[in-house]
Amino acid sequence: MLKGFGTVLTKELRELVRDPKILLGMIIVPLIMFPVLGSIMSFSIQSAAEQAKKASALVLDRDGGIYATAFMENLKANGVKIYNLTNVNPEEAVNRGLLSEYNTTQIIEIPNGFSENITRHLAGETNVTTYVKLYSVFSGTGIVEDVGSSLIDLLVERLNRQYAPDLMKTSKASIIKGQIYENVDPRTLSGLMISQAIAMPITIMILLTYSMQIAATSVAMEKEEKTLETLLTLPMDRFAILMGKLSGSILVAGIGALAYMVGFNYHMGSFASFSAVSGLDLASVGLAPSLLGYVLLGISLFVTLLSALALAVILSAFAEDVRSAQSMVGYIYPFLFVPSLALMYVDINMLPLAARIALYAIPYTHPIIASKAVTMGDNLTAALGIVYVAIFTLVIMYVASRLFATEKILTMKLKFKGFRKREKSAVAE
Amino acid sequence: MKTAVEATEVTKFFGNIKALDGLNLKVNTGEIFGLIGPNGAGKTTCLRVISTLLLPTSGTVKVFGLDVSADAPEVRKIITYLPEEAGAYRNLSGWEYLQFMANFSARNKDEKYVAVQEAAEICGLGDRLRDKVKTYSKGMKRRLLIARALMPKPRLAILDEPTGGLDVLHSYHIRGIIKRYAKNRDTTVLLSSHNMLEVEHLCDKVALVNKGKVVAEGKPAELRDKYGSVNLEDVFAKVVGLA
Ligand SMILES: Nc1ncnc2c1ncn2[C@@H]1O[C@H](COP(=O)(O)OP(=O)(O)OP(=O)(O)O)[C@@H](O)[C@H]1O
Ligand SMILES: [Mg+2]
Repeated sequence: MLKGFGTVLTKELRELVRDPKILLGMIIVPLIMFPVLGSIMSFSIQSAAEQAKKASALVLDRDGGIYATAFMENLKANGVKIYNLTNVNPEEAVNRGLLSEYNTTQIIEIPNGFSENITRHLAGETNVTTYVKLYSVFSGTGIVEDVGSSLIDLLVERLNRQYAPDLMKTSKASIIKGQIYENVDPRTLSGLMISQAIAMPITIMILLTYSMQIAATSVAMEKEEKTLETLLTLPMDRFAILMGKLSGSILVAGIGALAYMVGFNYHMGSFASFSAVSGLDLASVGLAPSLLGYVLLGISLFVTLLSALALAVILSAFAEDVRSAQSMVGYIYPFLFVPSLALMYVDINMLPLAARIALYAIPYTHPIIASKAVTMGDNLTAALGIVYVAIFTLVIMYVASRLFATEKILTMKLKFKGFRKREKSAVAE
Repeated sequence: MKTAVEATEVTKFFGNIKALDGLNLKVNTGEIFGLIGPNGAGKTTCLRVISTLLLPTSGTVKVFGLDVSADAPEVRKIITYLPEEAGAYRNLSGWEYLQFMANFSARNKDEKYVAVQEAAEICGLGDRLRDKVKTYSKGMKRRLLIARALMPKPRLAILDEPTGGLDVLHSYHIRGIIKRYAKNRDTTVLLSSHNMLEVEHLCDKVALVNKGKVVAEGKPAELRDKYGSVNLEDVFAKVVGLA
């Protein structure tokens, strides 16, 4: 037996169990985080299913025959709400804004000669076939999406079984930013974008946790070594101490954001080579950020890092040493991890309003939202996110500067029972 | 003789804990003044109030006539403070640390150069100044920090347990530094200590602090006479109530 092992283990366990921060971080957080994540996922799957149920489409019946009518009946029977338009071709439908007018994202085109071709096929001319064509708007990302595409495939397959095999085919096109791209299945696009939808949040999680640890450690080191106390008695502006510390972290954050952008660019580049195989070029279909988009994404990332760093500095200012500073910063992690993981699975616009507001309120989601938005060419969303996070950061920095101006920086400790009775507000500089 | 520090009826609460309880203190210019008292007596709190880190809950503290609450920025220009058990930036070398700290007091490059040279001499660390602080022993670190506290020629140097936890030789060295450099440079020193022998030899005046109050004050010899004791340790025991 290892002599003394049991004794050390007992002491270790006792110490760990008595440190509420560890309890909170290791046990409570996962206990809360996973159910939350689980419900987000099941919600997203459920809402996708519901969306399929109440799916709608513009049907451009350019045939007018009995089989066209039968096809539409079949769509209805499968819960698809249809708006039948005649004498309109898909380009016109897109250009005239009919999609938004009817509040749908899909166009099903039944081509001229649809019924006739079916009749001829059924009469023995088996080399005569026909097709229906689905145009769907490519909206965003998220792992569960694009039920419409599969639904059409399913319907056509069923009809083929009913009438004759190999009678009908589906043809797919995507509408991206108001432009029709023939032979581009939205599902393929989603597949391509999913890898981005996952890569982005993961990178952001790593970047933020890392830089927050750096900032927290640097402040806690000053407290632990009492160098902060020395600085506070020097004839200097106390705000300068805070800004000096923050700027150091900002520099780290800036380099981090830059490295991230280089990585992101490379990541998008790897799509280009991937698309060479699939015959699809994301940039040429407009699914790559513009230069402005890249700049906005970079800024978004930067202000978000800044807000996280400022918060890390404040929290660690309450801690007496490095270890407790790090667990203090750990309290921020759920607010980072839950939304990041959630946004891998769902597009923010699919969520109910309350969840959407909650996600928008958390600053760390904004680079993730921005990265999707700029890819789709929606620079406004990214810009608004930047404004929000910037305001959030300013508020945090104001609080931090108030903290540094008073003795609270030395005497305040976060307690689990809540704050101690506050002392009379201290002197301002 | 001018007054360097004057504390009048100072109280300080931390929540419900009363750390200072009507403390009165007067330090004259040019003195080396020692605070002694048991653990938790309030020495550190007292020094932190004087060095503008904490606000007194009530009472006033004046440093060379400047109020520590109202004129904190002015007070900070004429004092230096060495926290209890302080460290320096671990990844800087001793030189770099002194240079960094000199930036706050020196008005130009020449002044800074002279100050750092002097501080290097005061601490007596020689070539080791080029090594990172994290490689220093406790005693070396303290010598570096004392040198930095005396470097800007402050009118008042506040040193919380300058020799706490150090061996005889390092303590001896540090006492030598304080005596030599403070006296020659018009710096008043206010320090705290647990070492009676040290206080007896080093300090012109001492104050015994207990439970947030000054319970006895005077020159070491006066105190010994007054309490009929052979040394300060004995005085301490009598006043605090152990004997
Ligand atoms: N930040 C703080 N929060 C709460 N209580 C404090 C704080 N700082 C000091 N105290 C309390 O104030 C009292 C005086 O402490 P102080 O550190 O001034 O004593 P001291 O004389 O320096 O002791 P020592 O000789 O051990 O250094 C103690 O009861 C201590 O617990
Ligand atoms: Mg003390």
